[in-house]
Amino acid sequence: MASLLQPDRVVYLVRGEKRIRAPLSQLYFCRYCSELRSLECVSHEVDSHYCPSCLENMPSAEAKLKKNRCANCFDCPCCMHTLSTRATNIPAPLPDDPTKTAMKKAYYLACGFCRWTSRDVGMADKSVASGGWQEPENPSTQRINKLIEYYQQLAHREKQDRDRKKLARRRQCMPLAFSEKYGLGTRLQRQRSGAPISSLSGLSLKEGEDQKEITIEPAQALDEVEPLPEDCYTRPISLPEVTTLRQRLLQPDFQPAGASQLHPRHKHLLMKRSLRCRKCEHNLSKPEFNPTSIKFKIQLVAVSYIPEVRIMSIPNLRNMKESQVLLTLTNPVENITHVTLAPCEDEDPDDINSTAKVMVPSKELVLAGKDAAAEYDELAEPQDFQDDPDVVAFRKSNKIGFFIRVIPQKDEDADVTVSFKIRHDFRNLAAPVRPSEEGADTAAVAAEAIWLTHHVELRLGPLAP
Amino acid sequence: MADKPNAQKSVKIAAGAVICVESEIRGDVTIGPRTVVHPKARIIAEAGPIVIGEGNLIEEQALIINGYPENITPESEVEPKTMTIGMNNVFEVGCVSQALKIGDNNVIESKADVGRNVILTSGCIIGAFCQVNTCEVIPENTVIYGSGCMRRVQTERPQPQTLQLDFLMKILPNYHHLKKTVKAGHTAS
Repeated sequence: MASLLQPDRVVYLVRGEKRIRAPLSQLYFCRYCSELRSLECVSHEVDSHYCPSCLENMPSAEAKLKKNRCANCFDCPCCMHTLSTRATNIPAPLPDDPTKTAMKKAYYLACGFCRWTSRDVGMADKSVASGGWQEPENPSTQRINKLIEYYQQLAHREKQDRDRKKLARRRQCMPLAFSEKYGLGTRLQRQRSGAPISSLSGLSLKEGEDQKEITIEPAQALDEVEPLPEDCYTRPISLPEVTTLRQRLLQPDFQPAGASQLHPRHKHLLMKRSLRCRKCEHNLSKPEFNPTSIKFKIQLVAVSYIPEVRIMSIPNLRNMKESQVLLTLTNPVENITHVTLAPCEDEDPDDINSTAKVMVPSKELVLAGKDAAAEYDELAEPQDFQDDPDVVAFRKSNKIGFFIRVIPQKDEDADVTVSFKIRHDFRNLAAPVRPSEEGADTAAVAAEAIWLTHHVELRLGPLAP
Repeated sequence: MADKPNAQKSVKIAAGAVICVESEIRGDVTIGPRTVVHPKARIIAEAGPIVIGEGNLIEEQALIINGYPENITPESEVEPKTMTIGMNNVFEVGCVSQALKIGDNNVIESKADVGRNVILTSGCIIGAFCQVNTCEVIPENTVIYGSGCMRRVQTERPQPQTLQLDFLMKILPNYHHLKKTVKAGHTAS
């Protein structure tokens, strides 16, 4: 039953600024704070920009200059696929001898998905394979640039005013009487009063440079609008000629209504981001710089630290009748983990979604460590855990299957949801080894185990009809 | 014609057509010259004859079927309609075509499904996995693409696959046995 392995069947609760329930595969684990983190409780930072089709890296400053678009690749304006350059041979007159014609290569852009070509909008074939294609010029570019400059200058001036006011207020708080009382105060005051003066002088210098004031004309409102064409209501619409909203809005400068004005645009760059825990400022995820590499420099994902619960099989669930559900628990770390399950208390504020009562095994479950070489090592003795057959169904390397008993309480069409708490020990290898622990103790032994508790919710599925 | 049931039910292959033996051709089918039929292609003329023009390319697992419409049983008397396919069409891998009239220079891409009541004119491209089972004439140079079967008109028709046809006509006989040419003028005695 592949639907039981869907990621949203088992969700873990993240206690951050917001309470978020997410599957373990989408969560991160900060091993300095020893807490689960979701995408909403971390800060996202841009690492690098790259083009998704030519995989070219670009530093952030250059990306900003090019408006976050690749220089070489184009997007089809019709279906947003990547355009490919195709070549044809056309007979063209030789520059030396106009009577003879030779085959010259002409390049045009074509989309492999919707068969759009650059010839559809009237763009002439270019004689160079790349670099010949220009985006159409926006008629309002000059006015927009002028407006941007003016507002930047205005913002700069406002910032200077604000800074000056702040410093002026500070000076007023320290009257000259104090400067005589405390000798140190005078020196400090001299230093302090020196600082604002020098910074002000710096500002005045800047102002001196920036004498040229940018003025803009206010936008003029027009009384008369262009009238609609006369056959607006009577002319039959040719649907292939009209652009869809999506095609139109992908080019906000022009928003062409006709398909013959849809010009291709440069492809948008994508970015690689790194995640940082907001509380301890440590990096949780840092990808490699190279766009072709999918590895991470730092990868603190939750699945490699927290035991994962998965649903293995569900019997027919009936209202108010007890059934046994088989779950599996996987140990991601290399040392033995002890896991205790506990049902949620009656008045648990986290327990809002469960529609069934659950009885979890009360004994502690022991999970073997993940040993990558176990399948090749024939001489290894199978570790002997005394398993209660009522609780543990099977055991396989670092995974066990165990039973829980579920009594659905509500007779609704909605899925039966159960929740419980899982408590396991976690050895923090990131914490520095204390200097008092001398001797031959390895770091793994010296690391102390702390107990973490997580709230897990499972969606078991609908009641049997 | 009901009184001569076996007279017309033969496959007529023109000279110059390359038809692999592994393809399945049933019923009254006429295939023009320079047409290439790959192995495992199926051309089935159940409810009427099929006439295929020249320069067509029918790839593997393509199914061209002139079958009975769903609500009519084979026993009842139905006028057999001829399915006509023009020149330079391409039926890509795994497509299903039941259209009764197909013009020239059309491309039916992989796993596309064209229904019986569709008439393809010239230069149409039915995109991959698009199912077109409306009751209409598709105008010239239309491209149907995407999961929502979006449509647009292109300015030029797709080029005939002459290079591919030449290559296949040279290479296929090296690896497959071909069906023998049956002259179209040969009448059953």
